[in-house]
Amino acid sequence: MTLLAPLFFQAALAVAAVVVGLHFIVTRQPPSSALPTARFVPPGSVQVTTVSRPRDLLLLLLRVVTVLLVGLAFARPVRTPERVPHARIVLADVSFAIGDPTQLRDTVRALLRPHDVLIAFDSGARMLVPAAFDTLTPGRADARLSPALVTALRAAGELRARADSIELVVVSPLQASALDAATLVIRDLWPGPIRLVETATREPAESTAGVAVQAPPDDGVRIALRVDTTDAGVRVVRGELTADDSAWAATGRTLVHWPASGMPTGFQPRSQPDTAGAVIAGDDALVFPLHREWQQADSSARVIARWIDGSAAALERPFGDGCIRSVAVPVPERGDLVLRPSFGRLAHTLTKPCNADRIGPAIDADTRSALSGHGPLVHRDAIPAPDNVVVPIVPWLLGAALLLALLELFVRRGRHSVQEQTDLAPMERAA
Amino acid sequence: MPLASYAEVLDAVRGVAWPALRRVRTTPVGAHASVVRGTTAEFLEYRPYRQGDDPGRIDWKLVARTDRVFVRVSQERTILPTILVVDGSASMAFPEDTFAKWQHARRIAIGLAAIARHRGDPVGLAVALGDGTIRVEPRTRSTVIEEMMRALDRAPGGSAPIARVAVEALRLGARVVLISDFLEDDVGGTGGSAVLEQARIAAAAGREIYAVHVVDRSELDPDARQRLVTDPEHPQVRRPMPPSVRAEYVRRFADWRSRLARDWRRAGAVYTMTVPGEEPLRRTIRRITAAGDPGGDV
Repeated sequence: MTLLAPLFFQAALAVAAVVVGLHFIVTRQPPSSALPTARFVPPGSVQVTTVSRPRDLLLLLLRVVTVLLVGLAFARPVRTPERVPHARIVLADVSFAIGDPTQLRDTVRALLRPHDVLIAFDSGARMLVPAAFDTLTPGRADARLSPALVTALRAAGELRARADSIELVVVSPLQASALDAATLVIRDLWPGPIRLVETATREPAESTAGVAVQAPPDDGVRIALRVDTTDAGVRVVRGELTADDSAWAATGRTLVHWPASGMPTGFQPRSQPDTAGAVIAGDDALVFPLHREWQQADSSARVIARWIDGSAAALERPFGDGCIRSVAVPVPERGDLVLRPSFGRLAHTLTKPCNADRIGPAIDADTRSALSGHGPLVHRDAIPAPDNVVVPIVPWLLGAALLLALLELFVRRGRHSVQEQTDLAPMERAA
Repeated sequence: MPLASYAEVLDAVRGVAWPALRRVRTTPVGAHASVVRGTTAEFLEYRPYRQGDDPGRIDWKLVARTDRVFVRVSQERTILPTILVVDGSASMAFPEDTFAKWQHARRIAIGLAAIARHRGDPVGLAVALGDGTIRVEPRTRSTVIEEMMRALDRAPGGSAPIARVAVEALRLGARVVLISDFLEDDVGGTGGSAVLEQARIAAAAGREIYAVHVVDRSELDPDARQRLVTDPEHPQVRRPMPPSVRAEYVRRFADWRSRLARDWRRAGAVYTMTVPGEEPLRRTIRRITAAGDPGGDV
């Protein structure tokens, strides 16, 4: 066992010694005798202090133990763990970008040893027990390396007590999108190299060539997309959605509900329909006065297109392995809007496969080099100790000290009442 | 104390005279020289006749011999009502095992009363006790001494109203004897004492005042084994008494006693300090009465 703040315990020992010393010092009044001329005696303390063997050993014991418990609680005792020469912190990417979960699990399993720490990350990071990794599958969130590095730094502070040197390993497809402006700054806080283990990236989705539109041949969207396929990765429904459409989307494909008339899924009627001058989706914008009848109703859906005033014009929500996209942008039957290139680009953007743009390029060589760094493994002394170490025994020690203090109070009161009865006994006998 | 034990006291004071300090202003016939000049057989002097004098007091033989008219003046004798005030407070119940101070005080009181009554003076008594005051009115009859003995057959204790009793006696008695340890705040000679002030006035008015200060030997020289002492009249006064402070105590007590004696004497009183067992009672009584007795025993 190690004390994080041993000075407190040393102070408690000193206080306990003082308590024991005070118990040896007995202050009492000597027997008094009458003297009518007592007023001529110079005033002074009527207490006589003598050194004698302590009589109340129970009180002494309670007080000493209470003081020692309080001192021990403030000294924060922690159990000294068994230290290993080399420990590893494995950051495992479980984001949407993972192409082969089995490969990821095998890689992590090969890296992990009993004393290592496993941190799974996507847009957030969480520490896992190594055994739990087998049941974890990649999710739909994007990878963010910055929070993962912060978690690794925090874990290193706790791991330094158990290992002489610490290695940080990142198992990830290493997408450029996983980095942000703070990533390299945070990485510099790690005082050593980072071992990068690259895993397979998810294959990008198919392009718009795989779009099928369920609409008449003269439908504006069909004209704008210039497609004539009936079976593809993306299905645009210009009418009402059916159960068959939903089941189709759940198999990992993209269903776009862009009704020619009527309310799209996830929208509700606007209280006051109006006209918006433009709509924006990604990098594409369509500037045209369009009549707005619907407003967003499903707040959990992701907005993929917005009107010029910021309100939602198209929503996307995951559905099974695929997604359902709702578009509330009206397509005029008259005029040449559907023939304009800007409308075509907007239609292509709105009918892209789900997550088509989430698989980006891998990080470049310079960034990879900056991220990995170089040098020997990090020695435990190079990692600062954590500021706030949770010592679970402290509340128990303080609770025990409080209990003993209360017990001491009761014992002391009991002693006083016994003393008073003893003092009164001669008077009662005399009476 | 049984009444029979006072026989020793009465024997001890037999023959002791206690004349008045000065001529007395009362008129009843007694043993003390009066301020009144009369026609008794105790010749004092001649003085020239003045208009209004009783012609019967003219000494005609002297007129025949000198051819001048003189009047014969003789000494009148009168009584001196005496009141004894005895302090019965808790401080007089000391030492706790013998009550020596109290025993001594009441022996002195009975002794002085017997002397006064033997000379034909009315004697009275006021005993200030913690639970009240016992009074014996001044009388000359033979049973008054026995009444006083019964009045003194009490145990002292508590905080006695000695100051009030003493002031009353000083207003009433021609001769007042205070027998006390003077440890009551208002009785001690602390300069602002009401009793002392009243005594000063009474003495100026011609009354005779005797202050008999009873001090126990243990108060003069406390037991060296005492480590903590308590005033029996004021239990809140508790003082440690290690050997290092004994000399200071003795000095303070001696200073107080000398200041007390000086103040009472300046007030016109006869001050006598007495310690129980230090000397025979007769000697103590004679020291008290000697101030007005040129010849001593009668």
